[in-house]
Amino acid sequence: MSAHIGDDAALYALGALEPQEMTAVEAHAASCVACRRLLANAENDVATMLATQEQLEPPAALAERVFATLDPSEQPQRRATRPMWYTVLAAAVAIAVLPTAYVYRQNVAMHQAMLADADAMARVAANPHRSVAFAGRDARVMYAPDGSWYVVVIRGVHAPLHVMWPHDGEQTMLGTAVPHGDVALLYLPKSHRMDQLALVEGGRVVGQAQLVF
Amino acid sequence: MTALAHWDHQGLARPVRRTTLRMQAPHDDEALASAFASKERWAFEEAYRRFGALLYSTAYHVLGNAEDAQDAVHDALARVWRSPDSYERSRGAVRSFLAVCVRNEAITRLRSKQRRARLHERVAAEPQEHDELRIVDVVEHDRLRAAMQRLPEEQRKPLELAYFAQKTHVEIAQQLDIPLGTIKSRIALGLRKLSGALGGTR
Repeated sequence: MSAHIGDDAALYALGALEPQEMTAVEAHAASCVACRRLLANAENDVATMLATQEQLEPPAALAERVFATLDPSEQPQRRATRPMWYTVLAAAVAIAVLPTAYVYRQNVAMHQAMLADADAMARVAANPHRSVAFAGRDARVMYAPDGSWYVVVIRGVHAPLHVMWPHDGEQTMLGTAVPHGDVALLYLPKSHRMDQLALVEGGRVVGQAQLVF
Repeated sequence: MTALAHWDHQGLARPVRRTTLRMQAPHDDEALASAFASKERWAFEEAYRRFGALLYSTAYHVLGNAEDAQDAVHDALARVWRSPDSYERSRGAVRSFLAVCVRNEAITRLRSKQRRARLHERVAAEPQEHDELRIVDVVEHDRLRAAMQRLPEEQRKPLELAYFAQKTHVEIAQQLDIPLGTIKSRIALGLRKLSGALGGTR
């Protein structure tokens, strides 16, 4: 491994390095957690300085240009961070468990969501469960007959959705389903039965499910 | 972070009661950073919506015109999007990571432009005057100026040349006639002090 970046972190964040030095810093930080943190601190310091400058509203056309760049075909491939056997096992569990309708419509993003939440899927696979669709949204909740766990799967979603438990005139927030690709999944270990769940987006209920025990 | 880890992170054995009005803020930065690291499209769009003004302003203050600033923001974000491992959670906040990416892109463009200008036989003395003009711009940033003024001159001067005049450490060392290693440590120390004075958190 190359030398730690030391004071070069500050110079990198300030843009005060030569191009080849910047490349060297980036290469080292990619493989050194301690130096990544050093870099993060320096970048935070510079961002604090930048926040004092006069803030200008960017032209609307810039947003269009930036968003147009985010073409799915240019989606990068991440480094593998799990052993192959784990990936294969997790994929097998996930594919065996999800309802048929979801499996038919799966794509690469769906696989990513499954793998990321393989623990939740393993729970579903190993235990008897019930399944109910949400009204108002392409979503489903699978849950244990005794209410000890719940898994909420939402399709066609591109921003986090909050899962709420409406009861006694209140809304209790249970968690946030964060999308992977166009699928969001939330695993809820619970110790009691919830007879209804709601999906909330921007403070508005966009889906409801009635659960039967 | 997976949805499962997100849940565990909250340490919630039982549901926590919150109103729908208060529930968004606490975890949004964390969720955004995790999704950004996983190259989720929605996270890039959300990051632009949240930090677009900071990014555009950063580029504009370096380059001085709207067209170049837009190009710098676009190119920096496109490079992050297309590079598989450009951002990880341990790299810190998405906001500061992107701000530095855009600023470095803008500085690279500025230097390239200045090199081309020199090739076209612009007068050699011009950059010196340009530097002074940029340093005067600090008047707009009262807090920054006040904090800068409280730094010892040996740290303030090289930091000003790096931040406002976009000089490299080699250029700063030459201009101030100070060894490279000394310049580096003075800039690093000055930056830490300045951020602390501005209320920056680590």
